[in-house]
Amino acid sequence: MNTYEKFRKMMDNHIMLSFKGEITSDIINMVLQIMETRLDAVAEKGSVRKKIFNVLVECMQNLYHHSEPEVPGQIHTRRAMLELSFNEDYYFILTGNYIKNKEIKRLKERIDRVNSLSKEELRKYYREILDNNRISDKGGADLGMIDMARKSGQKLDYNFTEVNDELSFFDLTVKVAKKK
Amino acid sequence: MDNLNIEGTKQTPEIDFDAASGILKISGRSIPENTFEFFNPVLLWLDSYAAEAPEKVIAKINLEYFNTSSSKYILEVLKRLKNILHDGKDVLVQWYYEEDDEEMMETGEDYEDVSGLPFEIIAVEED
Repeated sequence: MNTYEKFRKMMDNHIMLSFKGEITSDIINMVLQIMETRLDAVAEKGSVRKKIFNVLVECMQNLYHHSEPEVPGQIHTRRAMLELSFNEDYYFILTGNYIKNKEIKRLKERIDRVNSLSKEELRKYYREILDNNRISDKGGADLGMIDMARKSGQKLDYNFTEVNDELSFFDLTVKVAKKK
Repeated sequence: MDNLNIEGTKQTPEIDFDAASGILKISGRSIPENTFEFFNPVLLWLDSYAAEAPEKVIAKINLEYFNTSSSKYILEVLKRLKNILHDGKDVLVQWYYEEDDEEMMETGEDYEDVSGLPFEIIAVEED
């Protein structure tokens, strides 16, 4: 693919922002700033804008807290990806990061549980966890997935791709519906 | 007792706690990666405030966004207020949300339910 074709592909897929690398605090702030500008440009405001922001913050903080390094023990190899795009009906927030194979089962169960719940059940589950869970050392407190499902009002779409005996690549897509 | 004033940033809310009047304001956004660092001084202030709070305490919470790791700490703030209520003081939480932000309204209801504090959930017009 030559560069123009790459460019066309990004245009056709309405890529608003695409990033690969280590997610630092500075990167998170920069992405949020860029997205404010991009959403201004497409005149997206009010509740849709807030949903996108909320989901984006959670997704990036998941990457910040939970990405595994590609090379064990080498923190700077905590490479992850982030891509924001849209089509006629939705905004898409796609993230990808390394995860230890042994953590897949627990994560998968959590997402599947969240996906199986209705809006009201999600709300109840959120209250339960808010009330009972201690704050985990990584700050996530398990509320992240529930919150993303609640804010987006959509099922969470995910995949695990095995990389080697230790690691897999976990990707997660969260959709936010555009206002009709 | 000293007031607690913390300026807001792109990641952390403005804290304006006026000890004598009992008006405790939290506003802006709360999306830091390290939530403990930000909230710990706030919780410590509230711990000492319990003994010195006036008869009426009003917490005005007006947040645009917050991340889920902040949500636990917001509950911790409310638990401190609950202690003040248990000391026989009058405590009210005013929870503000932008009028089309249904999630923020629901979140207010969630906190009302979980904290057991008296809440007023108040819609404000968008800028």
